[in-house]
Amino acid sequence: MTVEATAGLENGTLATAAAGPRPWRVAWPDWRPLLLGLALPLLAAAGWEIVVQAGLASGRLVPPPSRVAAALWKLARSGELWPHVGATAARVGAGFVLGGAAGILSGLAASYSPLFRRLVDPALQGLRAIPSLAWVPLFLLWLGIFETSKVALIAVGVFFPVYLGVMAAVLGVDRKIVEVGRIYRLSGLALARRILLPAILPALVVALRTGLGLGWMFVVAAEYMGASEGIGYLLVDGQQLGKPDQIIAAILVFALLGKMADALLMALFKPALRWQDAYQGGR
Amino acid sequence: MSVAVEIAGLAKTYPNGLRALAGIDLSVSAGEILAIVGGSGCGKSTLLRLVAGLETPNAGSVRVGGDVVRGPHPAVGLVFQEPRLLPWLTVAENVGFGLSSLDAGERAVRVALALERVGLAEHAQAWPRELSGGQAQRAALARALVTRPQVLLLDEPFSALDALTRTALQDHLLELWAFDRPTLVLVTHDIEEALVLADRVVTLRPRPGRVDDIQTVALSRPRDRDAHNFEVHKRRLRAALNQSLAPDTLAPDSLTAAAL
Repeated sequence: MTVEATAGLENGTLATAAAGPRPWRVAWPDWRPLLLGLALPLLAAAGWEIVVQAGLASGRLVPPPSRVAAALWKLARSGELWPHVGATAARVGAGFVLGGAAGILSGLAASYSPLFRRLVDPALQGLRAIPSLAWVPLFLLWLGIFETSKVALIAVGVFFPVYLGVMAAVLGVDRKIVEVGRIYRLSGLALARRILLPAILPALVVALRTGLGLGWMFVVAAEYMGASEGIGYLLVDGQQLGKPDQIIAAILVFALLGKMADALLMALFKPALRWQDAYQGGR
Repeated sequence: MSVAVEIAGLAKTYPNGLRALAGIDLSVSAGEILAIVGGSGCGKSTLLRLVAGLETPNAGSVRVGGDVVRGPHPAVGLVFQEPRLLPWLTVAENVGFGLSSLDAGERAVRVALALERVGLAEHAQAWPRELSGGQAQRAALARALVTRPQVLLLDEPFSALDALTRTALQDHLLELWAFDRPTLVLVTHDIEEALVLADRVVTLRPRPGRVDDIQTVALSRPRDRDAHNFEVHKRRLRAALNQSLAPDTLAPDSLTAAAL
């Protein structure tokens, strides 16, 4: 029975593939796992809300959801929130582009040229061992307290995972595929553009997502060190003025922005990864 | 007939000390189909990779159309044992991979013709993963032939296919060859494949690889795999192959290695 079912399934797949146009799968997301995952945090939030509303706790240090929502709504409606969002997004964007580009280029160079790798990789690995936040005072001294030092810090955070990811991915590219490029006399940039980059694209996306995640981490540090604008500033402001509802609101905005940036990155690369014939995970 | 590939005194020793080839002399005429057979480890794939310019010899030289091969040569195509299609390109883009110097219009025409010839016209926009093994290898053939190479090298191109697909593709290769009549150098471990395709069959003796025997296949094409004459050739080639696998009578391996 199982064997027959499997054979039937294979035939079905073959038939679709042979039919010419690619099957356009309309997959409705299954919301049930999402609801299950939300159950615990929603229950906790509702519980806390009830406890505070009933007067059993003041909620002064741990504000209930309603107060956080009110703070967020006030920030958004007064228009105060948007310049902060814009400033933070611009910093992460600039740092991500600079650090990402540098990471891709040096990762490619380090994997393509053994000389470059022996020359530069040990130094980079040494620098990587420094916790990136330790750069903050130096960057402030060198680059001033304004945008440049913040963007530089974010770029450093983005650079290392992208560099490492790209180098490891290129060194893992199948020699057989590279030989196809060699037979057509590709070398240097042409080989990188036509063989290596497409071959590492799935790994590159992972490296960029890791880099982007670190970018969001570092923007908090950068803005915490001194900024007059940005979501990180809202954190500092909330701390200094004793407004925990504003702090939690800012944290929520960070989470939302990070998730949106990640989704945007995935969506950008999705068309370029249609060719993938990979394990779909549990199917 | 003019000489397409001239191999002289070719030797290859790998860095680990393995002597893959020693003193190979061979000359292949333009338009000839040459098959190279031999036991595993006889260096037949290494020989092909040297002609393709993917490896550098330790001694001797390979000339293609008079040029000494120092790297992949523009007039030489190579079909690997696996299709090696680039998974991120459609079948048509894969076939056009070596035509990037042409403008898009001419490239499209050439690719369409090549796909037509291998019977994959309706799969032009498919991804490689959607092809069967035989279709993928036909696409690889199209990719190698679309640049109109003077010399096409084939490294056990059909060995991963089932028997029916294999014979079909052997016949198909001859049809494709008939269009431009490039020189074919084919490495195979299949005696029948060598005899169906080749004008001459070279048998290599292993460790280190040397030319042990060269047989001319005096059969008209298309060749009937079941004909009596074909059987005679098969028996003769099998005998040569067995002979090549027998230990060296004068200088056993260990002795040769020690003496050198």
